[in-house]
Amino acid sequence: MNEVKLFLGPQHPGMHGNYSVHMYVDGDIINKSRPTPGFLHRGFEKLMERRLWMGNLALIPRICVPEPDINEMVYAMGVEALAGIDVPEKAHWIRMLVLELARIAVHTMSLGFIGGPTGMYTATYWAIAQRDLILDLFEELSGARIYHMYIIPGGVRKDLPDGFAGHVLEKMAELETKLPEFGELILKHPVIHARAKDNIMLPAEVVWELGVTGVGMRSATGLANDLRKVKPYARYDEVEFEVPVAVYSDALTRLNLKFREIYQSISIVRQVLEKMPADGPVNVPVSPGNALRWTVPAGMVYAAVESSRGEYGYFIVSDGREKPYRIAVRGASYPQGLLGIEKYLKGYRIDDASLWMDTMGVCSPEIDR
Amino acid sequence: MVLDEKDNRSPWEKIGDYFSANSVWMKWYCTGCGAIEMPPTMTSRFDMERLGMGPMATPRQADVLLITGYLSTKTLRRVIYSYEQMNSPRYVVGFGSCTVNGGIYYDSYATINRLDMYLPVDLYIAGCMPRPEAIMNGFAKLIDMIKKGEARGWRHYQENYEWYKKNQLDSLGEVIIKDEFHE
Amino acid sequence: MNSMNSMISDIKAALSPLETSEPAFRQIAAVVKPDGIHGALAYLKNKGFTQLCILTCIDWIEDSQFELVYILFSWTDGIHIQLRARIDREKPFFTTVTDIFPGARYYEREVHEFFGVEFCGNEDLYKPLFLELWDDIPPLRKDFDPQAYSDSKFPMRENANEFLSMTGGGDDE
Repeated sequence: MNEVKLFLGPQHPGMHGNYSVHMYVDGDIINKSRPTPGFLHRGFEKLMERRLWMGNLALIPRICVPEPDINEMVYAMGVEALAGIDVPEKAHWIRMLVLELARIAVHTMSLGFIGGPTGMYTATYWAIAQRDLILDLFEELSGARIYHMYIIPGGVRKDLPDGFAGHVLEKMAELETKLPEFGELILKHPVIHARAKDNIMLPAEVVWELGVTGVGMRSATGLANDLRKVKPYARYDEVEFEVPVAVYSDALTRLNLKFREIYQSISIVRQVLEKMPADGPVNVPVSPGNALRWTVPAGMVYAAVESSRGEYGYFIVSDGREKPYRIAVRGASYPQGLLGIEKYLKGYRIDDASLWMDTMGVCSPEIDR
Repeated sequence: MVLDEKDNRSPWEKIGDYFSANSVWMKWYCTGCGAIEMPPTMTSRFDMERLGMGPMATPRQADVLLITGYLSTKTLRRVIYSYEQMNSPRYVVGFGSCTVNGGIYYDSYATINRLDMYLPVDLYIAGCMPRPEAIMNGFAKLIDMIKKGEARGWRHYQENYEWYKKNQLDSLGEVIIKDEFHE
Repeated sequence: MNSMNSMISDIKAALSPLETSEPAFRQIAAVVKPDGIHGALAYLKNKGFTQLCILTCIDWIEDSQFELVYILFSWTDGIHIQLRARIDREKPFFTTVTDIFPGARYYEREVHEFFGVEFCGNEDLYKPLFLELWDDIPPLRKDFDPQAYSDSKFPMRENANEFLSMTGGGDDE
């Protein structure tokens, strides 16, 4: 037997972001694998201690690049809990709209990125083009495609622009006509079936050992463990949606779940636009006068939201001054990206490692921070 | 960096530059967050293949190294390693404000502040992060520079190798990591 | 679904915490003694708090203490618990909790790398995780100055025009 050391990534077309998996392989079977994070380490937790509470708004979206809005949301939720700010009703609904649009965008992209590990780039081309239409909506809303800095402590930055709801509904209708084609192309395609079916399994008992949340947990255990249901934030308790679950977690099942979640998110977006109050304030002033001297009362709070990959949370500590004392970030893909890669890739093929990264949703910037 | 302005290429080099400008291969390496705008640039909507550019998986066959944003020291070691594997002529494009002056991470302990201390940068694309239109614009400019023989960073790297090496060693301590397995 | 009040009284009875509070909606904070962490984690895991959300650390440099924070979540009750304990900053030793929550392994490595807290029993502790060839004190400690480190290692670009300088001759002055 000849064991060979092999680096998968950081520079590899199938790799998601700047991340690396080091493995010992025998032929193309993985004997041992080690995650190597840290290529995107920027020291966010230190930098956030050096910025003002409001100044951090520019920094936090950059922690998770594919889905930046969840960062703004957890930061706002945490600071509001510490400072005792009541968010206006309309802001809650706008936040939900933004979060669900972001979820659609990131799920579409992750369906597309299945092209990397499987070599079926048609999926990538289609899905990225669809995601771009959602980014256009964000651009209309906030002026930026990727980093919006739209959700702020106390509400959202501005009210929806004129005609925005109509544009959203148009895009949703268009997406719904495209999604069945996606289903045919990606979820029923023989290439994907050959690679993803019965491959890269996540057994149910492993879920609790790793601490995996999100699609990984729901696809293995059959439990509807979604923070939007279990511990609703914003106004998720006032909209109706289902949490897709499964009890057999191979890569194909997880893709299917993401696909079904897109439909649920579209339905939530429609309900939000329907139930949202027509007018009213969208933010409350948080600081008396000068945001530079805004202090947040001392305390420690953990805020969490359901991201597309699982529970995403900030632990925020304030000592009552102008800057946070400590902020710790719980990246949603931390368990599956580190311990999951170390323990559960053994016995699979080299090229399946990036299939794990794609379907479990491993986002390297939020692991490294 | 200071480049001599005179075009002293031989006719063969001019022909070579002309052809390589029409078929530029970009190395597929997401070094930072600007890489999230690369998929739209590469695929149907903005479609950089109309410029004759395409992604390439290995550094040995690539012409352009994109530094898409901030570089942590850990990544910079791999980037330098990849850059030295590339064949001349090779070009470096810096994305976003982080490569210019550190950007939002100016006081971070893990990211470098100036990319052109370590690698010769031919072109910067400003923005945080640059939009796909800006990226396409930058690529068109790079192709133009290659045609005119203005993208001479790789030659500058050869001629000033000691200076670059010294900067790399000063900031990184050690450029090539011997054993990455940490076993 | 257990209510918050019954959960708090259960925790008070079973763990005898030094202090409990409710920092946010459906969230309980409990401060225990360092040697009570393991018992508390095992007790809470049996009560349904099966998920370790995050293990992190706070550097209280003025008190010369590190505060370890374990955040657990119960998917049946929808309640977060912060379990906190303070240890000595000069002798930052603690025991691993990977026997209760195997997922804590990488969090402990991270806390060791960024704060220098040593978790006895975690065999991978001394391998670098995020940082490579790190040559200073652990970076998330409060007495570490990232600006000074960045200035000493990574040169800044000198601007041709000093925009922020008050004395430099601006155009419109």
